[in-house]
Amino acid sequence: MQCARCLADTASVVAHAPDGSGAWEMIYCARCNFSWRTSDEDQYINPARREQIFQYEGLDLETLPTVMPIAPLRK
Amino acid sequence: MSTRDFREFIGKLEQEGQLVRFHEEILPEPDVRGVGRGAVDLGPTGPAVLMDNIKGYKGKQLALNVHGSWANYAIMMGMPKNTSLKEMFYELARRWDRYPGEVKRVNNPVCQQNVIRKNINLYEIFPLFRVNPYDGGCYFAKASVVTNDLDEPDEFDKTNVGMYRLQVQGPDTIGLGALPFHDLGMHVRHAEAANRPLPIAICLGVHPMLSVMACTPIAYGKSEYKYAAALDGAPMEIAKALTSDLDIPAGCEYVIEGKVLPRQRFPEAPFGEFPGTYSGGRNQLRIQVEAVTHRNDPILENMYTGRSWSELDTIIGLSTCVPLYQQLRETMPEVTAVNALYQHGLTVIVAVDNKFGHYAKTVAMRLASTPHGVSYCKNIILVDGSVDPFDLVQVMWALSTRVRPAKDVIVIAPTPGHPTEPSSDPKGISGKVIIDATTPAYPDTTGPQYRLVDKVENTEIFRKRIVELQQATGR
Repeated sequence: MQCARCLADTASVVAHAPDGSGAWEMIYCARCNFSWRTSDEDQYINPARREQIFQYEGLDLETLPTVMPIAPLRK
Repeated sequence: MSTRDFREFIGKLEQEGQLVRFHEEILPEPDVRGVGRGAVDLGPTGPAVLMDNIKGYKGKQLALNVHGSWANYAIMMGMPKNTSLKEMFYELARRWDRYPGEVKRVNNPVCQQNVIRKNINLYEIFPLFRVNPYDGGCYFAKASVVTNDLDEPDEFDKTNVGMYRLQVQGPDTIGLGALPFHDLGMHVRHAEAANRPLPIAICLGVHPMLSVMACTPIAYGKSEYKYAAALDGAPMEIAKALTSDLDIPAGCEYVIEGKVLPRQRFPEAPFGEFPGTYSGGRNQLRIQVEAVTHRNDPILENMYTGRSWSELDTIIGLSTCVPLYQQLRETMPEVTAVNALYQHGLTVIVAVDNKFGHYAKTVAMRLASTPHGVSYCKNIILVDGSVDPFDLVQVMWALSTRVRPAKDVIVIAPTPGHPTEPSSDPKGISGKVIIDATTPAYPDTTGPQYRLVDKVENTEIFRKRIVELQQATGR
């Protein structure tokens, strides 16, 4: 399934409404870690409508800042 | 007047008319967000809201806005719910000096009445919601996160209880927002230097005073549990986690136990942060979840954060003011109060009397060099000691009538700033502006050219009487 944020084909359904109502499914992208509910408002989960500033299409995820640097291994 | 745990506090709020039960069916998005925003918009007397009919999560309980008003904060303090901010500030400062309070170890804690170790699916266990529309996923925004220093695991006072953002990233993994200058950052650094997974316990629905301390910057090596006990006036009950040696709050509603994966980073964010702006995407730590425990009929506590004023401002506000007040008064006892309520102290109002000309400006410089002031405390406003810095009408009066632009406004830049603060440019670099609205003192050459009208005495008894008369009108 296509991710609503990074547009890669790496999203899948990971949860269902636990009360058995079928009210929604939760979808999660294993690549960029975006997740959304099928019942969420269209403007926030439809790639064509989401604000461009929040989209990851074509973004090399390695270039996101690492604000917590990895400490050197202790010898 | 102490409180045993979150559940008891919920009961107290309800007794005082400061909690409402919301049984109408609502959607996780956007309705829960609307409930959280709506409750906090009710201002200083807004109630906590307990929901139990979220579509897809029917029967699961979610509480928002528990610390979201000053009335609720006063009840937590064991004070009348109409207590003024200034009175709560002085009472909190008085209790601060009681550190350390006691901790009491408990066996078979209620937070472990139910244990889930297999087929963990956080999206199905917890009534989650997307806090702000463009957040990268569902967050636990009000968790007290417990970690130890793996270099000194037996040092109880170095156990850290901190409030960090946690993005659910799949059924049993969670993104952890750590920063190097946090105590958690030090624990991560030590664990990663040894290439060891760091045990972690995410505690939800904890004692309300522990939640306050979890988001209060205190010195490394001071215990949040002992501070919470000192502020509450009773021992904090703790217990051992199931999968590690961590000390967790015994009476909390839920605990998620797991390990922080060493030396790996994963995309996380954005999230609507405390300045009311979205953080950018980043690579952050990841927790592998190993167990979830909870009380019977658990209540998930979460928090709406977004544009100010939000619950985050209330929970973090007074406990930001008090350490700054005490650090200033160590050498500058002329300081009578500190209001650092705004965005965790990015703007601060200090009440201080000039013991000689322009003395107050040196108080601002000291504030700017306190541990918290270095990166926060950007806009520093100085008012006379007789002005209540928590009463913005009085503060605006001081600004309007005392500030001489050529003498009383000082800009110091660049200085360190906070990376999440949107005006920081580049990120993490800012400046300070000092606005001195105190009455000039000798030998300030202009001297006071005016005589302030005195405060009217004995207003307290007449104010109370007028309120009684107004209530007696029955309208």
